[in-house]
Amino acid sequence: MSPDILEDAMELWFGPQHVSAHGWATKLTLVGDYVVECDPNAGYFHRSAEKVLEYKNFRQGALILERMCMLEAFLAEYPYVAAVEKIAEIEVPERAKVMRTIMMEMSRLHSIQFWWGQFNAELGFFTMALWPWVDREYSLDAFEELTGSRHTVSYSTPGGVKYDFTEKSMKQLNRALDRFEDRLPKFRDMQMGSPTFRARTENIGLYDVKQGLKWGLSGPPMKACGIPMDLRKDDPDPNLAYDMVDWEVPITENPEHPGQSDALDRMEQRFAEAETACEIIKQLIPQIPEGPIIDPKARGKANRLPEGEAYARVEGTRGITTLWLKTQDKAQTAYRAKIRGPCIASYYALKDLVPGSKFADFIVIFGSLDPYPGWWDR
Amino acid sequence: MSDSSTTNASTFGRLVINKIPEVTSNPLGDNRIELVVPANKIRDVVTLIDEEIQDVLPESMFGVDLENDQYELIYIFWSYTSRLLLQLRVSLEGEKPEIESTCDIFPGLEWHEREVREMFGIEVKNHPDPRLLLLPDELDGAYPMRKRFQTDRSRLNETGITPPKPRPEPGGDSQ
Repeated sequence: MSPDILEDAMELWFGPQHVSAHGWATKLTLVGDYVVECDPNAGYFHRSAEKVLEYKNFRQGALILERMCMLEAFLAEYPYVAAVEKIAEIEVPERAKVMRTIMMEMSRLHSIQFWWGQFNAELGFFTMALWPWVDREYSLDAFEELTGSRHTVSYSTPGGVKYDFTEKSMKQLNRALDRFEDRLPKFRDMQMGSPTFRARTENIGLYDVKQGLKWGLSGPPMKACGIPMDLRKDDPDPNLAYDMVDWEVPITENPEHPGQSDALDRMEQRFAEAETACEIIKQLIPQIPEGPIIDPKARGKANRLPEGEAYARVEGTRGITTLWLKTQDKAQTAYRAKIRGPCIASYYALKDLVPGSKFADFIVIFGSLDPYPGWWDR
Repeated sequence: MSDSSTTNASTFGRLVINKIPEVTSNPLGDNRIELVVPANKIRDVVTLIDEEIQDVLPESMFGVDLENDQYELIYIFWSYTSRLLLQLRVSLEGEKPEIESTCDIFPGLEWHEREVREMFGIEVKNHPDPRLLLLPDELDGAYPMRKRFQTDRSRLNETGITPPKPRPEPGGDSQ
């Protein structure tokens, strides 16, 4: 870039107070209406969760983890519980496995419903912001009836789950699902049929598979490029019940730019993700086996863990979500726990993705990657 | 797996050991493998991963403090086509250990390296952007993820962070 152009450049801090900045501060260098440099700055949400986990016992730990991402609280707490189960060699009853899987998909559905509202609100498309949020209330009601909490469900515990389904909680769950499935085609018409929305997202924030992998992107931003990359199929957790369901990894292929994805593809991908989540839950509900929901010996086993290392991974709403846990012999707390949230890559990617685009498109690119600051700052 | 586009964990382990004999391997089961890499060979191994494995993604990179100036760095790579998980383990020692940056090979590792530097005091050589990532400026050089860093109130004076203001008395006027 010639220095003459940069003479007129303006530095603009986008965030951390701005609502569309998701609690991050991005330093943009603008020339006219165009972004020439993007410098993402993380850290405004840092709560040193990894250090806190070194002071909390193995049943308290999951409570810290779900605060990393309130929107997918169950998905966030699960890798920690799975890692503890691996080190302590705890067996999980079949019934708990199915219930965990149902809850995991409900969590994914809720997170997508929230993201729709947020992304559309950022674009000024308020009808599609409020419609999914009405359905989100029904999902929250289902969580509340089952666990007593609307967001931080703290549902899984080493050895199983905490609460059994009751008739009423099952009814709430079915109500949330039926209502959402009923309204999904309407949402799709409203969203994809909007010429303004299409004009603002088509060919915006285009990247290909190779670039995405180098940044470390995973989940819907990569599946929108047309590659079936999903840990639920590729590396399923042994204590979840995805093998009981007949399902395909949802992908979005755009013939106009094969192997690449723009913001519109990523929206289309979220529709596919939500449909798959509904389908998995619908198939699992009639298959819930009878039996205990928790291994009675698990509580004792999780008090003190033997020496070991475990790496637990799940496919989160936003991509690969993992936890690496190291314990010392007879440990009551973790020696080292490393959280890998999926938004690490999506926020970093802005550095290369944004320069060259218009300032107004920055929010479209940023929002379409579904950022959540808790996942990176921890 | 005989398909040429996919990579088997043990085959890849042998390939690395043939080229770089200082590396040793531990199988982790299910097409997962751990490679123990000397610190000075990390760039060679990461380059090999980039060249040999298709669709590989830098999943994570982090430090572990083993106390008494012993540290470990763990790198995790995942290839969805081969369903292969690679874990590299690098042992480091000293008050301020050093490692070569690998973020020109995988840009996704850039922020992980910044975090390792600020949290553990592991110097990353040739890093393009060695600023603090998550910590406030007052904690520069405090390395809070080291085991010797105590998270009690006595650290407040040392770090220079102002303690929180006392809460207003109940019933009184709170300005």
